[in-house]
Amino acid sequence: MKKNTLLRFAAPVASLGLALFILGATPVMAHKAKHTPEQLKAFEEVFMEQVRIGDLLFHGDAATELKMKTKLSRTGMACAMCHPFAVDNHPHEFPKFQEQINKFSTLREMINWCIEKPNEGEKLEADSDAMKALEAYIYWSNRGSKLDPGRH
Amino acid sequence: MKKQEWKEDDTRKVRSGPEEERDSRSEITRRTFLNRSLIAGAVAGAAVNGLFPFIQTIEVAFGAQAFSFAWISDSHLYPKTLNTRFVDKAVRAVNDVKAMKPAPDFLIYGGDLAQLGDPVELELGAEILKAIPVKKYYIPGEHDWYLDMGNKWMQLFGKPNWTFDHKGVRIIGLDTISRGPDYWSAKNMSPQERMGHMATLDGSVAGPWAGVGKDQLDWVSKTLSDWPKDKPVIVFSHNPLYEYYPPWNFWVRDWRDVQAVLKPYTKVTNIHGHTHQVLYNEIGTMRSIGMLATSWNWPYPPEGVPVLTTPMVRVDPGDHFDGVGWAKLAMTTGDRVNHEYMMWRKDVLAQTQVDSGTGDNTNQILSPRVADRP
Repeated sequence: MKKNTLLRFAAPVASLGLALFILGATPVMAHKAKHTPEQLKAFEEVFMEQVRIGDLLFHGDAATELKMKTKLSRTGMACAMCHPFAVDNHPHEFPKFQEQINKFSTLREMINWCIEKPNEGEKLEADSDAMKALEAYIYWSNRGSKLDPGRH
Repeated sequence: MKKQEWKEDDTRKVRSGPEEERDSRSEITRRTFLNRSLIAGAVAGAAVNGLFPFIQTIEVAFGAQAFSFAWISDSHLYPKTLNTRFVDKAVRAVNDVKAMKPAPDFLIYGGDLAQLGDPVELELGAEILKAIPVKKYYIPGEHDWYLDMGNKWMQLFGKPNWTFDHKGVRIIGLDTISRGPDYWSAKNMSPQERMGHMATLDGSVAGPWAGVGKDQLDWVSKTLSDWPKDKPVIVFSHNPLYEYYPPWNFWVRDWRDVQAVLKPYTKVTNIHGHTHQVLYNEIGTMRSIGMLATSWNWPYPPEGVPVLTTPMVRVDPGDHFDGVGWAKLAMTTGDRVNHEYMMWRKDVLAQTQVDSGTGDNTNQILSPRVADRP
């Protein structure tokens, strides 16, 4: 690799490092060494904690809703009342044309449709913590499913 | 694991009421469930030739004594201040029953009148049902019971199990919900916490709560001891009396004992609620018919749907009157109970698998709730 090529790569990396330093963030370098069992356990714990939070939201847990500042239902209904074990969510089929929304939709858009329409709640920001937790729970509950995007 | 098998021949086409188009080939209704064993041979030829056997669902003769009755269940009422949808649907079912001509001989309310056993919910339900002028019989659901262990329910509706004879049929109402193993005392749960776990269909804390119990089975044996084995018996229960899907308590845990007690009687029909869906099964000579809820429909579980069930259609979650309803039932000349699902839509039974929603995700790995883990 030529020297000027190296510089072309080094400059943005250095800039990013400087930016993170200024912002007070700690840059994390991935895959520079083999994963330890402790690391893998930590990753799993991060994921399962989100699944647990999603499970609570999905089942209408009032304390979790309060903590997450969400209002997922105003009818007393919770997601799990129509989707026990998160069946009939079909996360592996998205994105697809969704009849209710009348457009090509993502799982997150479908989650928001259910919150707003049947549950008469307040929709979530697409990248909010609550949405990611719900998504984690729904995907985890449907693990093993074969990807089949577009299927109706 | 037994998967739902789809058979195109299971689909019966027909009319269901004055608002629907008459199918010139048939007198069967779209809402009438005809199981494969009933007309298997006939349909194989009839479907091809466009000829269906005549079957009427209401007001057919039972000897010299014809009678029909109605079923409503699973209204899951919240206080009116929180949810008026469930109230609207229960009221619609009640108005439909009131409009039946001729009037049914009686109404069975099949449990889960309340959502969380709140006295306000139970009183609201009793008030709504009061409008039905015919004799009413009640069995409890788990949602009615586990806040105060049935005190309010029994105050309003009496004993949770009962029997009477009607026009040559011995009728038994079973309590399948009150004998749940104690999951609350050791954890010092409040009544609300106890009820909350019971009300979570896919929860694991309440465990296998559905059961008939030896004491009640002894009572059933005694009740039937003077009844001829070949005369019709109808058993009403909240839960199915066979092993359908235990993780959601779509069963009673002592179903084998129940079957053993009922086995000598060759014309037993069980009508049950709890599953909120079109459902049919046979074990030996005993037939089981699952009823709709007025509140909302459950999806079919990932496994265990009886192969004799013709699935209901996948319904519109944006229409809260869809996928729910009540039922008209009657004895036939052959001592059989016929039923007609009064779902508030044109087509009740799925015509193809894509419209049924069953078998959509055969690979899903199922686990108990993460949040239930200690």
